[in-house]
Amino acid sequence: MGMGSETRVGIIGVGCTKFGVRDDATIQEIAFEAVREALQDAGVTREDIQLSVVGTAGTRSYELMPAVPINEYCGFAGKGPIRVEAACATGSAAVYTAYTSIRAGIADLAVAIGFEKMNEVDTPTSLAVGGRSGSYLWEFHQYGTTFPGYYAMLAAAHMARYGTTDKQMAMVAVKNHRNAAKNPKAQFRKEITLEKAVGSRYVAYPLRLFDCSPISDGAAAAVLASEEKIKELGIDNVVWIEGVGYSSDTANMPKRADYAGLKASVEASQMAYRMAGIDDPLKQIDVAALHDCFTIAEIMAYEDLGFCRKGEGGKFIEEGESDFGGKLPVNTFGGLKAKGHPLGATGVAMIYEIVKQLREEAGDLQAELKNYKGLTHNIGGTGHFGWVYILGV
Amino acid sequence: MSRSEETGVMESRTFVLRHKLPIARVEKYWKGLEEGKIYGTQCKACGAKFSPPQADCSYCYSSDMEWVEISGEGVIECFTQLYSFPQGFEFAGKPYVIAVASFGDFRIMGWFVSEKEGEVSLPQVGMKVKAETGQDETGVWKVYFRSVE
Repeated sequence: MGMGSETRVGIIGVGCTKFGVRDDATIQEIAFEAVREALQDAGVTREDIQLSVVGTAGTRSYELMPAVPINEYCGFAGKGPIRVEAACATGSAAVYTAYTSIRAGIADLAVAIGFEKMNEVDTPTSLAVGGRSGSYLWEFHQYGTTFPGYYAMLAAAHMARYGTTDKQMAMVAVKNHRNAAKNPKAQFRKEITLEKAVGSRYVAYPLRLFDCSPISDGAAAAVLASEEKIKELGIDNVVWIEGVGYSSDTANMPKRADYAGLKASVEASQMAYRMAGIDDPLKQIDVAALHDCFTIAEIMAYEDLGFCRKGEGGKFIEEGESDFGGKLPVNTFGGLKAKGHPLGATGVAMIYEIVKQLREEAGDLQAELKNYKGLTHNIGGTGHFGWVYILGV
Repeated sequence: MSRSEETGVMESRTFVLRHKLPIARVEKYWKGLEEGKIYGTQCKACGAKFSPPQADCSYCYSSDMEWVEISGEGVIECFTQLYSFPQGFEFAGKPYVIAVASFGDFRIMGWFVSEKEGEVSLPQVGMKVKAETGQDETGVWKVYFRSVE
């Protein structure tokens, strides 16, 4: 401890529950599932944890102040908790809180827990919560915005400017469903056809049902430790946090300069690339988890993260570049689209999936590794928050 | 508070959240809507423009703001038509169209409505529109866009 900015931080254990409609468990029980797996994976016990960070977007659950109930249930009373909220990017912010505590030398072993139980309320209520992700007084109150509606507006702008098509968006869904079919933790374990996707009903024009991630329950956890602590514990199966970047944008959509991309993605990725020494992501990164809450979001992320030029995201999916065997496999685990998107869990679950990839434990979904570097890209709201991690072994 | 052995869940107590919305510092905007006018604000110190309006400047931190009317012809920047309604908008009854349009330096959100009463049509990005104000069935004042093409 006390190494300050010189301290490297590693991920030594990860856990993730099955995503889906989890009426079988409370938020405490579902968080416990993820935490137990992460602690066992790390080979540490609850007594080793010095700080717990609990992330949830919140509001949909009956438990409005959930950090302490979860901390109690996981046996962490006295070890924090710090409750973190960054909409759908909550999980990434929770990991960052654990990471910075270790970088600062305050803790040398910390756990980041992300969870959401979105199915405790009905769909109109869930839409009314998501529709408040901008600025309530000027948007939801007057116009009844919904979360699919926000991304649909971006999709309309992207399609108009770059000619991105329904079919290209559906291809993202087909790829991610195909991958999720092989992921035991996924909400949807079935493949879909392009015809089914492009023929599905509109939820928010131009987005159809199969362009949207589901309403999900789930939890994920990651155990982080300082390099010194990792040496002390004799752990050699470590995935290092080599870069992290964050940014944000306006709450109000009319205050944005542009709608065909996310400034927060661009800025967060550039910050993370600088820190990790990435100047050519396609060459240096082997596998990526991109925030595909809607299919258009994955297409915009290819562009905003520099995997292709602006406007060529549609072509990138069409040419198979984001599939296994392509230039950079994206959402090998099924993405938010088909694995599911329990908001607060998602950022931690992306870390879980990339850690599994970099440890070559992804089974049927293993990507080919050359540089042993992976990326997670997690957006909160409609580009309200942007987070990117570069992980490496 | 029924308990279902079939589903393994029971219901919570009803919890109603209804908030007060403090609009004292932007009252002219809401009054303007009632008079058919749409206002943004401009910082007198640095010239920054805000839509939706705000009482304080996020750039130079001055609170010396003036009201500016947003008018003329606008251009649709992006839009969506919602088929799944959130709680509170059940009254809409049929899919409604939300758009953002730019009017010079200002952008505003509104509901895009068709010329013909009761008909739903979609705008296009780049379409020229005019902005009007009105009340929806729940009495909330808002901006409506109509095509001028």
